[in-house]
Amino acid sequence: MARRTSNDPQAIANVLRLIPAKWLVGMLVALVLYFFLQPKLNAWFGWNLPSIAAMAGNETPAKPASPKPASPKPAQPKSAQQKSAQQTSAQAELASTKATEPRTTEPKAASTKPSGEPTKSPATAKAQDQDDWKYRILKPLGRDRYESPAGLIYAPGSEEGHRLSHIARHLEDQPDRPGSHGVFDGDMAAFLVAIDDAYKRARGHAKGTKSRLEDGMTVYEAPFDQTVGYLGGTEGARKKNPKLKKLRLVLRDRNLITAFPIQ
Amino acid sequence: MAKPFLIYVKQCPVCGDGLCRVRVCHDLQRGRLTGCILCDECETVWTDPTLKQKFLRGKVEGTPCCPDCGQSLWEPNSHWADIPEVCLLGWYDSVQIVRKENRDQIV
Repeated sequence: MARRTSNDPQAIANVLRLIPAKWLVGMLVALVLYFFLQPKLNAWFGWNLPSIAAMAGNETPAKPASPKPASPKPAQPKSAQQKSAQQTSAQAELASTKATEPRTTEPKAASTKPSGEPTKSPATAKAQDQDDWKYRILKPLGRDRYESPAGLIYAPGSEEGHRLSHIARHLEDQPDRPGSHGVFDGDMAAFLVAIDDAYKRARGHAKGTKSRLEDGMTVYEAPFDQTVGYLGGTEGARKKNPKLKKLRLVLRDRNLITAFPIQ
Repeated sequence: MAKPFLIYVKQCPVCGDGLCRVRVCHDLQRGRLTGCILCDECETVWTDPTLKQKFLRGKVEGTPCCPDCGQSLWEPNSHWADIPEVCLLGWYDSVQIVRKENRDQIV
């Protein structure tokens, strides 16, 4: 490959002879700065800057601080065909993320099954499906805690017993619930990908996103190019279930409390 | 068991999607019933239905806690208030009560 020539010591020495000393020092300083700042910049802003080793071709590219942004269309209209296509695309995306991310290589291992998780039986196909999407997307941290590729933590808590069960309430409308109830138009896997995408963009102060602090909690809002859900509840029914293009996340540190589509 | 009524003060001013509902904690040691307002979505706790004073400190981290005993409001000794309990707390005039059509959907 072309890069091989740049590693040739003779060629490098020739190039160095042609460059003025001042430039060399400047480049060296920039290189050292980059060496120290690269991991921090990736962590702070969710960027995917390659490490120096990766640029020199001695290492695989740096693992992304977060997965490739979820499609701006995490949710599509309701037809089963479209839903399955969407799920496939989300899975493909996650698979591509996994390929560059060493820590997600073991999620399917049975040994990582969290405590308190019901044992799988052939009769519980639903539970099996649930574990499938959990392990494809989330990294088990033990004690029923999971981490998303963007670094969000899904832990036990809430009335339902686990944050994942809590946000699952937003996969279906509750037409009798007073007020508004944001409903995500897709399955759980797509929802998790969209939440991660919203989190990364809001945390990086991307255009159109908002964030505010509420006594120890952080509330993020991120817009999407296409609809991510619709307004449910009695308010939604009254307004004829308008489409929603934003997600709101409520976090305590990195722990997700809740997430739902909003107007 | 799901209750036939849903009792709430208003939609949550913090998250905008949750309902501020009346949660009661039964302190068995002291034989005391404490009421507070808890958002069923973002888990913000207020000490009363005016929603002026939030309760932020509890004994259990990462979970909403009773303003009186400090224990988690998701423990078995806490539950969503029913109408007699709301009356007992003197908050009947501050709440809205809706009958649940589909009990499975609103627990």
